[in-house]
Amino acid sequence: MSDRTLSQPRREQLMRVLVIAQLVILAIGILFPIAWMVTSSFKSSADVTAYPPTLLFRPTLDNYTRLLQTTPFFSYARNSLIESGSSTLIGLLLGVPAAYAASITRASWPALVTLSARMAPGTLFLIPWYIVFRDLGMVGTYGALILTQAAITLPIVIWVLLPAFDAIPRSILEAAGVDGCGILRSLWRVALPLVSSGLVIATILAFVFSWNYFLFALVLSDENTKPLVVAAFNYIGEGSTDWGGLMAAATLIALPPLVLAIAVQRWLVAGLTLGAVKG
Amino acid sequence: MASLRMQGLKKRFGTMEIIPSLDLEIADHEFVVFVGPSGCGKSTLLRIIAGLEPITEGDLFIGDQRVNDLTPAQRDIAMVFQDYALYPHMTVYQNMAFGLQMRHTPQAEIDARVQNAARLLDIEPLLKRRPRALSGGQRQRVAMGRAIVRDPKVFLFDEPLSNLDAQLRGQVRSEIKALSQRLKTTMIFVTHDQVEAMTMADRIVVLRGGVIQQVGAPEEIYGRPANRFVAGFIGSPSMNFLPVNLADGAAHLPDSRTLNIGTALRGTAVLGIRPEHFIPAPEGTGMPVDVTLVEPLGSDTLVHFLVGDIKCIARVAPDTRPHVGERLPLSVAPGKAYLFDPETGARLA
Ligand SMILES: Nc1ncnc2c1ncn2[C@@H]1O[C@H](COP(=O)(O)OP(=O)(O)OP(=O)(O)O)[C@@H](O)[C@H]1O
Ligand SMILES: [Mg+2]
Repeated sequence: MSDRTLSQPRREQLMRVLVIAQLVILAIGILFPIAWMVTSSFKSSADVTAYPPTLLFRPTLDNYTRLLQTTPFFSYARNSLIESGSSTLIGLLLGVPAAYAASITRASWPALVTLSARMAPGTLFLIPWYIVFRDLGMVGTYGALILTQAAITLPIVIWVLLPAFDAIPRSILEAAGVDGCGILRSLWRVALPLVSSGLVIATILAFVFSWNYFLFALVLSDENTKPLVVAAFNYIGEGSTDWGGLMAAATLIALPPLVLAIAVQRWLVAGLTLGAVKG
Repeated sequence: MASLRMQGLKKRFGTMEIIPSLDLEIADHEFVVFVGPSGCGKSTLLRIIAGLEPITEGDLFIGDQRVNDLTPAQRDIAMVFQDYALYPHMTVYQNMAFGLQMRHTPQAEIDARVQNAARLLDIEPLLKRRPRALSGGQRQRVAMGRAIVRDPKVFLFDEPLSNLDAQLRGQVRSEIKALSQRLKTTMIFVTHDQVEAMTMADRIVVLRGGVIQQVGAPEEIYGRPANRFVAGFIGSPSMNFLPVNLADGAAHLPDSRTLNIGTALRGTAVLGIRPEHFIPAPEGTGMPVDVTLVEPLGSDTLVHFLVGDIKCIARVAPDTRPHVGERLPLSVAPGKAYLFDPETGARLA
């Protein structure tokens, strides 16, 4: 008895240390490639291919200036913004009501359908997809790229929001009905505010996935609608690759989603439904 | 402000029949209380009226309008949910104002009504808080407030006072009663509490397994229960039931004692006597019983005794303080002996 009470604080301490160690290992694994990318982008072309890799080097902005001078980087960035922004918006506009409808009707098939849409290998659809847009004369247009990426964002939105809606006690939604809300108003005034953190997560995920969506964009875009990820691909040349420039581009591409995630971090608060119902 | 009519109403969940077939009319301005054991379908019935549960079969009318296919929003009812169902992201004020906003009530009137309801329910200091920062009883009062700010056709209350302390419960009870008289709105109130049922109801509906056992004014339900179930359910402590043999105007008890109840019936029956209808008899008359427990309540005294192996309770005047083991002669107040069919439970007399 007294033995256990004595060892209790020490055991807790040990657990803390183990948890922290685990987090550190995990963080290193995740952050290492990012650190590599960022440091490489500041290396001179000699340093970037040096083997063994140099840890101490004289940072230079050469890669960035070259990138911005030799490529229309900002127009690619604008393309990416237009395409990811619009497809995220479409995903939200369609996905939010879809997830809500699936939740209140307790239908399980929409979740299954969206899951299989997420799991199916995209390459399978690449050619028919291309043919459809070619026949529509839409290859190289924003429309084609936005619609294609909406096919990515929509399932993400549904998949994130469905469990969030499911977690709202039904009686709260029923109370909204009794208070005079139709289905859309109960969604807007009651359900959405209660899943706001889920909504933020869904928005970020949808935006990031569509921002990084490569294969279909490669096939469907042209010089005027090319998004950043596709443009960066051009840095991988047949003969020699400009690794420094590529890393600078990659760093810049990774920036907006990161900024977005940090900006909305404070929204990600849980436990909002606390205290709504008895017990 | 509307009457309510249920015709051949049936409710099944899957294959489970919760309400076999129910007919009930509730008049305009009437205050009706549903009572019945847990799981008998009280909440289900309220939810059907509110439009939250589809009707399996039969019709529901509010006023002259058949509302089977109307959404809750279209039915114009206010409801207090058994689990409160407050909006967690809104303050207490917003919770109460929401239904009025949805119906485009002018802001000044919303404000007046919310303040008024908050004063009635003693939650004025809480108006800026969110539900998670409230105690159970406070949440329940907010749920109550959200309903009473409205001016609907029908109020539905699902055990709205269950979590309040005795004093507050009494206070809110009389407020609701006063409100119903002032607003002249039809009210349906579900409760487990005898006192609530008896004091508030114009009519009580006793339910069991989704079937109406009796509908009537409180004194009628209490004084002329339709069957043994109603007799046992209404009244606290509940009615004593004794299997008896009737002969020569007297009831012959299981332990061969007799109790003179002056009945013309003969044969086997179940004798029902409310605790308060036992009266101490003069020495040498009545039925002598051996006291097993005495509970002084202040206002009166509960005397427990055995008849055969059946536990019985008598409620007697507070100054009657028999000792445990003492032999006390009891008789039954004239005309207060109920007789039930031993098979069907229906009341015989
Ligand atoms: N959604 C549902 N699906 C299946 N059965 C249900 C459902 N809702 C209620 N029931 C059943 O219907 C019956 C009546 O339930 P209801 O909630 O109306 O009882 P109640 O009289 O309100 O009880 P209490 O006094 O405990 O609140 C119960 O047997 C319950 O298990
Ligand atoms: Mg109930």
